[in-house]
Amino acid sequence: MSPEELPPPEDEEDKRLMALVASGDDDALRLLVHRHHVRLVGYLRSEVGSQTTAEELAMEVFIRLHRAAGRWRPEAKLTTYLIHIAHNLVLNEWRRRGRKPTTALDSAPEPGDLSHDSARRVNELDEAFRQAVALLPPEQRTAILLLVQQEMPYEEIAAVMEAPVSSVKTWIHRARTRLRELLKDHYDPA
Amino acid sequence: MNRPMHPPSGHDFDQDLARALASGRDVSCPGFADRAVQAIGADRRRRTLLRWGSGLTTAAACLLAAFVLQGGGDDSLAQRADALAASDESRQLSDILGFVDELSFLTPAIDPHSVVDALINPEL
Repeated sequence: MSPEELPPPEDEEDKRLMALVASGDDDALRLLVHRHHVRLVGYLRSEVGSQTTAEELAMEVFIRLHRAAGRWRPEAKLTTYLIHIAHNLVLNEWRRRGRKPTTALDSAPEPGDLSHDSARRVNELDEAFRQAVALLPPEQRTAILLLVQQEMPYEEIAAVMEAPVSSVKTWIHRARTRLRELLKDHYDPA
Repeated sequence: MNRPMHPPSGHDFDQDLARALASGRDVSCPGFADRAVQAIGADRRRRTLLRWGSGLTTAAACLLAAFVLQGGGDDSLAQRADALAASDESRQLSDILGFVDELSFLTPAIDPHSVVDALINPEL
């Protein structure tokens, strides 16, 4: 294996920790959760719009990861595997609610410095974007979140969503189009 | 979202989208790791109990099956059932039941005073 083909150090650390978790090492488990929960909760919060629900789902993700630790094979990145489990839980959550999650986030993550007018406008625009993303159909929302927020390549998004890459590209194109429509007032002032 | 406004200068749609979503990417949850490890520990104990419960149930079922089959196979059980149906005991029981019926039929005709007289007077 050439140096260019070597996986990133983070992935190697994840593999090492997963092997320890599979052998029952709780310290490795705590470290693994600590490494990934911030981003995982962020993704889930963007999907379900609730901090409490996001944390509950993230907890369930790690429980399922622990159950599968002995069978886990490092063929994909651990982050992709975690998001895959999280996405399935989100689908279950939508089914349980009996409707699509069209509610906006319960609050903005960071209000920022509102003392400056430009900062205030940026925060308002960010909030408008988050609310618009919350209005997208589920597939479009997930695809755009994974691409833009989680910075995943199309192939990984397709793996997470268990869909062809072509479908992922279609969802992302439609999501961008829909977001431009929803936010046109912010870019085409009369 | 309904109020039009000018975006900050130098920004375009894709940059704004990336910035807006990136701001919600990392959400800090104090104490989450400890709570998760506790929840995983509880899940592990629950699954261990379930495994033991399932194992004990299986073992009990095996013991019961062994106990039932210890007396022989199905043919043996059938033969024993036939023997019981044709046994003398059951016939004796039928006879006894028939006799009791006859006694019950005769009971109203017995005079209690004649029974007492017979006990007092041995010549009768």
